[in-house]
Amino acid sequence: MPATLQRLPSIPASKARSAPAEEVRTLIDELLAEQKSLQTPVARFSEVHDREPDLAPHYRTLIPLTRPGAGEQYAFEVSLDRCTGCKACVSACHSLNGLDEDESWRDVGTIHGGRDTPGWQQTITTACHHCEDPGCMNGCPVGAYEKDADTGIVRHLDDQCIGCSYCILKCPYDVPKYSKKRGIVRKCDMCHQRLAEGEAPACVQACPTEAIRIIKVPARATVTTDKLFQSTIHDKPSTTGAKRRWPEAIPNPSTTRPTTRYIGREIPTSAVAADRDTLVPQPAHWPLVLMLTLTQAGIGLLLGALPGPPVPSGLRSFSEVGRPAGILAFAALLFSLGMAASVLHLGQPLKAWRFFLGLRTSWLSREILAFSLFAPIPLLLATLPFLPNFPFNSSLALGTSYLALPLGLVAVFTSVMIYHDTRRTSWRFPRTAARFFGSVLSFAALGHLIAAPSRAGLILLATAVIVKMIPEARIARLARDRNAGWSPDLHSSKLQRGPLSRAWNGRVMLTLVAVAIAAIQPWLALPLLLSAELLERQLFFQTVHAPKMPGHAGPARPNHS
Amino acid sequence: MMTPDFLRQRRGPLTRDLVQTPGHFGLGQVPARLKPASTTTSICGYCATGCQLKVHLDEDGRAINLSPATHYPVNLGMACPKGWQSLDPLDSPDRGTVPLLRDPSGTLQPVDWATAIGTFVDRFRDIHRRHGRDAAAFLSTGQIPLEEMAFLGCLWKSGMGFLHGDANTRQCMATAATAYKQSFGFDAPPYTYADFEESDVIVLVGSNLCIAHPILWQRVARNPRDPRIIVIDPRATETAQSATLHLPLKPKGDLPLYYALAHCILRDGRIDPASVARCDGFDDFAEFVRGFTPESVETSTGIPAATIENLARVVSEPGKRVSWWWTMGVNQSHEGVRTAQAIINLCLLTGNIGKPGTGPNSITGQCNAMGSRLFSNTTSLVGGHDFADPSHRRKVAETLDLPLQSIPSEPSLAYDQILEAAGRGEIKALWIVATNPFHSWIDSSRLAELRENLDFLVVQDMYPDTESARVADLFLPAAGWGEKAGTFINSERRIGTLKPFRQAPGLALTDFRIFRLIARAWGCGDRFERWTDPEAVFRLLRDTTLDRPCDITGIDGYDHIDRCGGIQWPHPAATDPDPPANERRLFADGVYCHPGGKAKLLFSEPARLPEAPDENFPFLLLTGRGSSSQWHTQSRTARSAILRKLCPAGAFVEIHPDDAARLGISEGSDVTLRSRRGEMTVAAYLAPTVQPGQLFLPMHYPEVNRLTHPSFDPHSRQPNYKACAVSIRLV
Repeated sequence: MPATLQRLPSIPASKARSAPAEEVRTLIDELLAEQKSLQTPVARFSEVHDREPDLAPHYRTLIPLTRPGAGEQYAFEVSLDRCTGCKACVSACHSLNGLDEDESWRDVGTIHGGRDTPGWQQTITTACHHCEDPGCMNGCPVGAYEKDADTGIVRHLDDQCIGCSYCILKCPYDVPKYSKKRGIVRKCDMCHQRLAEGEAPACVQACPTEAIRIIKVPARATVTTDKLFQSTIHDKPSTTGAKRRWPEAIPNPSTTRPTTRYIGREIPTSAVAADRDTLVPQPAHWPLVLMLTLTQAGIGLLLGALPGPPVPSGLRSFSEVGRPAGILAFAALLFSLGMAASVLHLGQPLKAWRFFLGLRTSWLSREILAFSLFAPIPLLLATLPFLPNFPFNSSLALGTSYLALPLGLVAVFTSVMIYHDTRRTSWRFPRTAARFFGSVLSFAALGHLIAAPSRAGLILLATAVIVKMIPEARIARLARDRNAGWSPDLHSSKLQRGPLSRAWNGRVMLTLVAVAIAAIQPWLALPLLLSAELLERQLFFQTVHAPKMPGHAGPARPNHS
Repeated sequence: MMTPDFLRQRRGPLTRDLVQTPGHFGLGQVPARLKPASTTTSICGYCATGCQLKVHLDEDGRAINLSPATHYPVNLGMACPKGWQSLDPLDSPDRGTVPLLRDPSGTLQPVDWATAIGTFVDRFRDIHRRHGRDAAAFLSTGQIPLEEMAFLGCLWKSGMGFLHGDANTRQCMATAATAYKQSFGFDAPPYTYADFEESDVIVLVGSNLCIAHPILWQRVARNPRDPRIIVIDPRATETAQSATLHLPLKPKGDLPLYYALAHCILRDGRIDPASVARCDGFDDFAEFVRGFTPESVETSTGIPAATIENLARVVSEPGKRVSWWWTMGVNQSHEGVRTAQAIINLCLLTGNIGKPGTGPNSITGQCNAMGSRLFSNTTSLVGGHDFADPSHRRKVAETLDLPLQSIPSEPSLAYDQILEAAGRGEIKALWIVATNPFHSWIDSSRLAELRENLDFLVVQDMYPDTESARVADLFLPAAGWGEKAGTFINSERRIGTLKPFRQAPGLALTDFRIFRLIARAWGCGDRFERWTDPEAVFRLLRDTTLDRPCDITGIDGYDHIDRCGGIQWPHPAATDPDPPANERRLFADGVYCHPGGKAKLLFSEPARLPEAPDENFPFLLLTGRGSSSQWHTQSRTARSAILRKLCPAGAFVEIHPDDAARLGISEGSDVTLRSRRGEMTVAAYLAPTVQPGQLFLPMHYPEVNRLTHPSFDPHSRQPNYKACAVSIRLV
């Protein structure tokens, strides 16, 4: 507001207002009463109950006449040449499905022609692709997704969902959306209830230009994905035998084999999503940041402080020397806090007991199992030294410490695989493994240094934490090259140097300070290193490039975790 | 493999939320939670397409959901996102629920209606007494029913005795109205939407139909004649992407382009002699365009001569139906009237008028801009009459039962002139109804200065937090669309009804009731005794149209309109069959509304850009609609979570990648745009769809009009929003 408006003329107080006549007061009351009585004229014409839906003649040709037969499934077909980006489909999905305030299962984005075809533009409407090999379903730890045997529709069982959001990470199209209010994710069900009644899905009904329809496609087709999702991707005839390029506009469909077919207009290979360069940090998932960092710190400290089995005499030293016992207790504490934090991540934690349903395909199920098996170990190791002697005391201690290393590493391995399995570029196995096992190693070195301070131990710690930072620093450097072509890593780099630069600088500074302090007092280095690692893990989540369907141009809204 | 229920919960409260059930009323499956008890219909309250919505009601007659009406000839079961989300803005917690009055400390304080209306009357009376009838003005809108527009216009002029009032329709279709009036003798858009489906050649000028009027694009898409779609627009818009041919015209290069087309058509003798015979001014026009060879306009239009020659052949193909459609690219221009008339001239020359699939067709902006044109009592006297014509004044006075001397013989100042006068201190008070000029008016920072010169500013709106309401002395809380009855007239002259299906929040009253209140408090209630409810006013207004080109005396009332699926004017009682045909166009008989029945071919030498780019301000700034989910100043659309999700989070400027590279601007970086009048900082968006040297800003952000250049079409006084010189710099 312009500053001048502070000096607005006020009503001159001197001027006496003529009191409104009594009749005006009466009219005010009358009008207010009138305004409050709602007498909506109800439609009187052609409103017959139980007739077929008004729009049925319109959409009859937009849905299949018969349900899918054996070996077939339903799929969306989108005619790009008909889609103008009016977004009625998004609103209709929201309204006709009675979704929450800002919830819609369809979205519309834009693709630009890119380098080779500037000026070319295409809007693109997307809902769930009801994939042949759904990433969401494979990742779900509790079997809250089903691929309907008859229709191929990938359905989400809302009451089964535990709200772990892993399906969101697993879907390359950013389809499932978390509802904070409900503590679960929800997603497009292709209006299966409407299809079952011979009605078209909301988006199909609502498209003014009939750009969206439902078709039947071969299910579990042995044909390559060429016949499906990318059917319209323009691939210049390759005379040189060069490898076909995939437009950066659309995530590569080989991962989950989406069934949606985009037809009607070729997409140039140089096409880019309109929001490709929009820098929006991904959700931080703070409970996961805490869970991963704390469990890895706990496991690391534990392993570092263990006097290297099989040296049984070392076990004895636990009770003799107070320091390792302190570390073990601390390790157990951190680990347990990490486990507790993981529960905060769930929207419906009480339903998580069904985690075993996903063991066959979900690394999240496997992680829950591995951590459940490992969980007693730190507690045992931390408490044993304080217990009075009882039979088999020492063999229990010995056995537990034998198990700590393999089980701990397996648990961390399952954590790594959770992220690797999302196929996101910066979460690939070598990178995630380097981060997660790097954390374990760093804290192991610190634990060892605390337990047995030595110059060699200090060098080991310094080497571990600094080597761990090298890949992160290399990504951060990418953004310096102004001419670099787009890549998921460049995207991460820009986030790391741009909106998240404070976290990145803090991560580096805290690590270096932690090493310096460790030389003086290793215990003091512990909180510093922990903070540095928490920032590292925050960046791990927030800088990742999450593949998605093209969005719209212009400033984006922040991602909420 | 089926797992047991205790392992796999297929049912439960969360699942139940999404269960559907037959909705009846022709709706198909609906969410069980939102199953209607009855339905009603209402015309959408955003744009002039005039879609009808079927509103789903609960037991109490309260709207719980809506979907587009299927059996309405306009939208055929479709709506754009704004229409779909029409209920959202009503539910906003930001609604105005009590009158607010600025206290001596400058804070807006809640007051009761008696105080509010008392203050209103005292202040305006005082101004009227001390400074006369020219010292106050209202600025209203194309967004309220025509019954309310007419009430406001008649109350202001014939009740309160003021003279000046204009509406935001000045910003959207004054140019088209003036062009038609001058060319045809009446403001008469001649077409019906079916023409979209019956054309062989569809020329869209300065119109991003896909985004601004998606439901009209639906009609284009339904055209079975495999039409050629030609888009004339500086930007490669969504509509241009769907075109057969896109002419990336230089901004404001259209007038010479159309004169060059006329040149080619006349040179090649591709005119329709019968149509030309019904026009005045042919020889002068032919002589005038002789100099406009395609080669001579290459520079000013940016279009190669060969393309112009080709286009001239396409739009004059004998036997082909050619329709021309324009929106704000033409209207919001320093020479928009002549540009629109150049299009009208092309249609008159080639005989593309009065027949299916033809016409020089202005697509209107606001839901009731067309109602405003006939009934707002601002530029023209209510019912399509002239203030200057004594017989018109007498007829209206008699029909409306108003004293003859209460109807002024002179017209009102136009919007820009009202603000100029306010700036000079001649207009002391403004009454702003359902519009937001402190955001939307061109060179808007001048309004902030002008605000200081005003003794009294009243804003009547749904929301007390619009840019304009925040600076008001008195805020009157108004009911919105969905909370009131009345009628709208859409682009194709179709009158449709609105229904109330929501209670207004708090003490908010419909504009209609506020006007009744003011009439009573002012002491002129007796003049408006018959203005009891919207339908009564509709019938009064209907009677004023007798024997005018917009004669609707054949309409009985709201039920009649609903029964007919809306009624296009004219529908004279004397001559028209009832029910009237569903799709009707004007001038099929070749008789226009000028005395003598001929149309006029009007033209002028193209004028120079009012503010061309130069060394200091090297870029030409274009403004326009950002997305289909945004409406004007977003005072309503920004209250819908879904609509917010469908558009960018904030302002952005589109710049060609080559310009961006030269200036070191990368995607998303903050840039400062500066014009001679103001500056703003926005994120850059690299868009090859804008031409080098040009920038595009969506109009929905309040900073945008701090940059725009206040130049106006001399005939229509419509602001030239779409071309001003700016500089751009990386922050």
